[in-house]
Amino acid sequence: MSKAVLLPEKDFLQCRVCNCLSKVAQEPGRYDVLYCPRCGAKMNTGKNNSIEVTWALLIAAAIMYIPANLMPVMSVYMLGSGQPDTIISGAFHLVEAGQWPLALLIFVASIVVPLLKLFALGFLLVTMQMKSSWRQRDRVLLYRMTEYIGRWSMVDVFVIAILAGLVQFGNLVRVETNAGTLSFAAVVVLTMIAAHTLDEHLIWEVTAKEDRANDEHN
Amino acid sequence: MLEVALALTVTGLILFFLTNSFPLLGLKAQGIVQEITLWKATVAFWGQGFQVLSVLLLLNLIVFPLFELLALLWVMLSIHFRKSNCFATYLYRWMRQLKPWGMLEVFMLGVLVAVVKLGDLAILIVGPAFWSFAALIVCMAAATAVLDPFVVWNSLKQGRCDE
Repeated sequence: MSKAVLLPEKDFLQCRVCNCLSKVAQEPGRYDVLYCPRCGAKMNTGKNNSIEVTWALLIAAAIMYIPANLMPVMSVYMLGSGQPDTIISGAFHLVEAGQWPLALLIFVASIVVPLLKLFALGFLLVTMQMKSSWRQRDRVLLYRMTEYIGRWSMVDVFVIAILAGLVQFGNLVRVETNAGTLSFAAVVVLTMIAAHTLDEHLIWEVTAKEDRANDEHN
Repeated sequence: MLEVALALTVTGLILFFLTNSFPLLGLKAQGIVQEITLWKATVAFWGQGFQVLSVLLLLNLIVFPLFELLALLWVMLSIHFRKSNCFATYLYRWMRQLKPWGMLEVFMLGVLVAVVKLGDLAILIVGPAFWSFAALIVCMAAATAVLDPFVVWNSLKQGRCDE
């Protein structure tokens, strides 16, 4: 019975931009910079500060999440009087108006998704630092979903931009933007950058002990 | 496959200019009509004191999508005419990296939300740019789906330059 022989992963580097695999001639040093032979992008030698940078961005995003939800994002002035709305109160107004599918969309895109992203990235970072081998495949899937879904949270900022640009009828009715929108956009941008800086290959880097156990098992 | 992607990219560029030259939505209240174009939506925040947001929207909705289309056009043409691929490789790499930051399809969802929100407030006019915008999104999605990055990288690899 023949046994498939897999090449040792540590001899190969994968380019994160074009996915090209290249063989490393020798162990790269701490400050060596390697470029992908196919697309020319800087390659990850595995000795970077991806976890620290991602933590910093994630903490910044978590801090910005608080004003993003507490501060008003926009105000609608009708006949001179009006009140500022936060994301949540805006969603409630939509429910009151009977537009619950829209309210659900805003609620999911603006509250649930950013919160889930913060928790998912935090969870991935902690398990990476623990060099956990727990459900690695599922964690990679979680990473990919987090990376893909992030940009859709911008929808609320775009809606506010359209309303602020369109609903300008002087004293009759007008829409004004408030500072909450800025913090909310900051959350989206920061989590998008955080998802990008996180090196998902670290998920496969498990403890040396388990590697040895696997070697013995094989 | 490359020819289909090239055709879609050229179509996309034409639709992009159409989308930017006509109003997207209009709103009529008490005889006054307010219209919004893609450009006006990006600068709406500027006038209200949020210049940073305005720049972010400008990048997301105009600069990055236009860069994506132009980069694709250059890459397709240089593969088609077998020209020097040095600059094309560079462009394609940046296009792949900046792709998530072009958010036209997210903006489309925003437009739809705004349409539903404003529907019972006033008379809404759907502008010509709305339709070209919808077609633009379909074109860009189709170009992405048709084009296998692996094939592009391999075609570009032939005449790559050394950095």
